[in-house]
Amino acid sequence: MTMNRLPNPLIDALADDLAPVRPMTARAGLAWVAAALAATLVAVELLHGLWHGAFAGEADPLFWIANGLLLLLGAASAASAVRMAGPRVGNRHEAPRWALAAVAVLPLAALATVLSDAGAGSPLHDPYGVKCALASLAAAGLTAVVLVAWLRRGAPVSLAAAGFHTGLAAGALGSVAYGLSCPIDEAAHLGIWHVLPVFVAGLAGRWLVPPLVRW
Amino acid sequence: MIADEPSLSRLMALSQRGDRQAYRALLSECQGWLERYFRRRVAPAQLDDLVQEVLMALHAKRATWDPGRPFLPWLAAIARYRWVDHLRRLYRGEEDELADHDAAEDSEEDAVLARMSLERLFVHLPGKQVQAIELVKIEGLSITEASHRCGQSESAVKVNIHRGLKRLAALVEKAE
Repeated sequence: MTMNRLPNPLIDALADDLAPVRPMTARAGLAWVAAALAATLVAVELLHGLWHGAFAGEADPLFWIANGLLLLLGAASAASAVRMAGPRVGNRHEAPRWALAAVAVLPLAALATVLSDAGAGSPLHDPYGVKCALASLAAAGLTAVVLVAWLRRGAPVSLAAAGFHTGLAAGALGSVAYGLSCPIDEAAHLGIWHVLPVFVAGLAGRWLVPPLVRW
Repeated sequence: MIADEPSLSRLMALSQRGDRQAYRALLSECQGWLERYFRRRVAPAQLDDLVQEVLMALHAKRATWDPGRPFLPWLAAIARYRWVDHLRRLYRGEEDELADHDAAEDSEEDAVLARMSLERLFVHLPGKQVQAIELVKIEGLSITEASHRCGQSESAVKVNIHRGLKRLAALVEKAE
């Protein structure tokens, strides 16, 4: 390899400033997210107590389906946000879109359940609903901090998408973490109050994160 | 000689480990690559500044390259990001005519470059947005001059620049 160009003082300065760095691999980023989720679960266990009955077979299958879909959305969005720290022409970030579409079935199912059951009350009058939504948002905090810190170290070039996926990941994983302490396994409650914080977190991430990770 | 992808990846991997000689060679090759990459889409007076800006970004963000992945798509993403940033900044100076040659055609890596080129981004924008951006942000015309040249109203030129740049920013990683 030859270099047929004039000496560039900037190149000399950058080379003189060179220090070894540890590459930011997706595996390391995902390990941080997993650690944040584990810490959040421990905090939920300490503050609220996980619903151990669910693990003893007391939960309706919908409880596991809803939390499973949210976990899938959280994992897909977190993986996408982590990969965005290392930009690349050709990167595609479509998995969260499909996972979000799958999660969006839950509120639709809740709506269908309420509309088809004349005796059911409005899910908006659920006495535990707001508490669950707020607690899920609080449980999203640590994952959000970890992902924003990761993106700030990185070089995201799709800032709006990075923000949206960060919000979705934090919201979905927060909802799962808190959701494992919530013994209400009805479609209306799960489909509205455990999904609402995911959308709120996604929108908040879309608007709040880009200024934090711009470089 | 133009460095190929494996050589650049090897140099970058050595650079991440702190090898200054490899890093000098890498930066020198990147400088040439970036000059060719930007040539048609940046006014000559701004070319050096933009190339240097990308080299500094490469330096600051060198840990974000994953040694398990190709180097040039990473460099191209950073170059595109800085280019869109560059277009956003209003400027108007003594502009020369843009060189009439195609960066992607004088390289040995035509196919790879074509997928990552700046031209490829403009394909996704409506013609009026491309025209407004080219006249004002690349050729350096004022809004009024651009309006007369392309026949769009001044408001339309402003709106098309705004929407076009917003769209470009969202397309930085797009390959097709």
